Amino acid sequence: MLNIEDLHVEVDGKEILHGLDLRVPSGEVHAVMGPNGSGKSTLAYTLAGREGYAVTRGRVLFQGHDLTAMKPEERAQEGVFLAFQYPVEIPGVSNANFLKSAVNAVRRHRGQPELDAIEFLKLARQRLKLLNMDDALLSRAINVGFSGGEKKRNEIFQMWMLDPRLAILDETDSGLDIDALKIVAEGVNALRDPGRTTLLITHYQRLLDYVVPDKVHVLAAGRIIKSGGKELALELEAKGYADLVKAAAA
Amino acid sequence: MSVDIASIDPYIRQFAAARSLLPGAGFAWLDAKRDAAIKRFGSNGFPTAKVEAWKFTNLNPLARTAFHNVAVPSQPALTKAVLAPYRLTPDCHLVVFVNGQFRPDLSALDHVPDGTRVVGLRDADEDDLHALIAPPSVAVDTPARSLFDLNTAFMNDGAVVHLGRGAVLDPVQLLFVAIPDSPPPAFQPRNLICAEAGSSATVLETYVSLGVGAYWTNVVTQIAIAPNAILRHYKLQAEGGSAFHVAATSVRLEHQAAYRMFAVSLGAELGRNEFDIDLAATDATARLAGVTLACDAQHLDTTIRIDHSKPRGTSSQEFRSVVAGHAHAVFQGRIRVAPDAQKTDARQSSRNLLLSAAAAADTKPELEILADDVKCSHGATVGDLDRDALFYLQARGVDEADARAILIDAFLNELIEGIDGQAARAYFRRACDSWLAKGSRP
Repeated sequence: MLNIEDLHVEVDGKEILHGLDLRVPSGEVHAVMGPNGSGKSTLAYTLAGREGYAVTRGRVLFQGHDLTAMKPEERAQEGVFLAFQYPVEIPGVSNANFLKSAVNAVRRHRGQPELDAIEFLKLARQRLKLLNMDDALLSRAINVGFSGGEKKRNEIFQMWMLDPRLAILDETDSGLDIDALKIVAEGVNALRDPGRTTLLITHYQRLLDYVVPDKVHVLAAGRIIKSGGKELALELEAKGYADLVKAAAA
Repeated sequence: MSVDIASIDPYIRQFAAARSLLPGAGFAWLDAKRDAAIKRFGSNGFPTAKVEAWKFTNLNPLARTAFHNVAVPSQPALTKAVLAPYRLTPDCHLVVFVNGQFRPDLSALDHVPDGTRVVGLRDADEDDLHALIAPPSVAVDTPARSLFDLNTAFMNDGAVVHLGRGAVLDPVQLLFVAIPDSPPPAFQPRNLICAEAGSSATVLETYVSLGVGAYWTNVVTQIAIAPNAILRHYKLQAEGGSAFHVAATSVRLEHQAAYRMFAVSLGAELGRNEFDIDLAATDATARLAGVTLACDAQHLDTTIRIDHSKPRGTSSQEFRSVVAGHAHAVFQGRIRVAPDAQKTDARQSSRNLLLSAAAAADTKPELEILADDVKCSHGATVGDLDRDALFYLQARGVDEADARAILIDAFLNELIEGIDGQAARAYFRRACDSWLAKGSRP
């Protein structure tokens, strides 16, 4: 399970998260919703260990370890996966070579035997087929020339290949048409299992029609100001964030 | 201009001793050319930073050492097996030079096809010698050409590659092996590549050292490409760590001629790789690309001048460097489009990756466009690895050191992928990989 306690995070000397508390038990899918500028992406990057996101107070416990003391690659090897809001384009590196390095780094850490090229390709092709994606993706450079939808689906594909214990999806629904959204949602749903914790970070309720969360949290001005069941998302969709934010500030 | 007498005096004296033993001695016109060249070198001396073309490359370390020139250097014993690792392929045509001297015993020229001629400079005919002496047609001020003059004075061997009409030569490798001794020697090879109409060739120049210690390679290569001929020209500069390497290559292209060049520079303490390209007739194409890999205290300079003299020429320059330690990479690229050269398409790009705080790169584009209906572009970047890309890889579980290696490799691969010919691609990838394995780790 993921346990975030009193998390304070500064970016460029400015505090963005002001004491965030969040508990997500194993096997559950939680949504974190909030208006623009509330700190949603800061939370995602802090969990993944991005440079420049300084934890000044509090801690993030995952499976008993404090994530904040680990390098990004150590977190990934421990099972943390961040699906990026803006996946990075990397010319000159093929998806296959990159993902094979990543999968084997994680497998080494877990004490599993590394996959050779043939085993890797077999697994990758099988996963791509399930996601209704073209094999050609493997030989293409990472995200280069991909449409917005392809980039997001590539994130879901990588997530399947890496088999994370904690999956964080940062606005994975943004910029997707309805067909791409359904594929992404199916990808997330297929990975629901008792050993995995999933955090969906989103501005809109739309994705939650397809991935039904166990809980919904509202993040505003750097804190969780309200938590509830899946109906909270519908309420936010109908009324907007303004009243909630005002009530929390009062 | 005041010239440092101490730095030039040894060369003047050595020239007097070698003059009558140099190839072509006795041809009055050639003797006169050599005499004039050493005289110009004597009055101009080594180029200083005041000479615009040399402003980023300080030759003081080179000028301070009195390198030793002789007409006929002594020859160490060597076997073909020792040279095998440096060959492009086990069966390519091969011309070996040891300490600047052609070594038929180590070369492989038995199967050179009809219509082509590959010989050492000492076996060149008088026409070849005339072609070797032809001044480059790209305009450069004389003080900048001082080392070219020194080569003209001392040139004592080199490769003459001649392709008759429609001939095909794929590929020939010119392998220059240095085995330095004391006093530190200078080698002054002069190569000629002459491609007649409709011919096609691939020529690889490789520079390596089998010993340790200082030496200086000062090489000049003259290339003429006739109408509809194509030359793929590759160069690997992997000189010894205490070496100096100065190379001047000039290329003249006729109607619809094509020149494709790829260079990897990773050797020598100080290296300069200079190209003067004249698109002297209509519809000519010159594509130059290359990679500089510099670490420790290396200084590696690539200087390109391209003259578009006639209409509808196409040229591109795509150069990248990876600089570690406190090394210094230089790229200077000049494009000149003559008033007559309408419909020119000229592009230039210089990208430099600095792997440490003390690493440096200077890049200077220079465009002189005198025609109005042309497409010209240039771009330059100097910086560290992309932080976003690095984080993306790490966030997937790849260690920082591996992530850096993947990104550096990708930066180079984008250019290496563009090399024509599988053997050359593999050859340069091997050279880059072995550098990356030892050179780039912080």
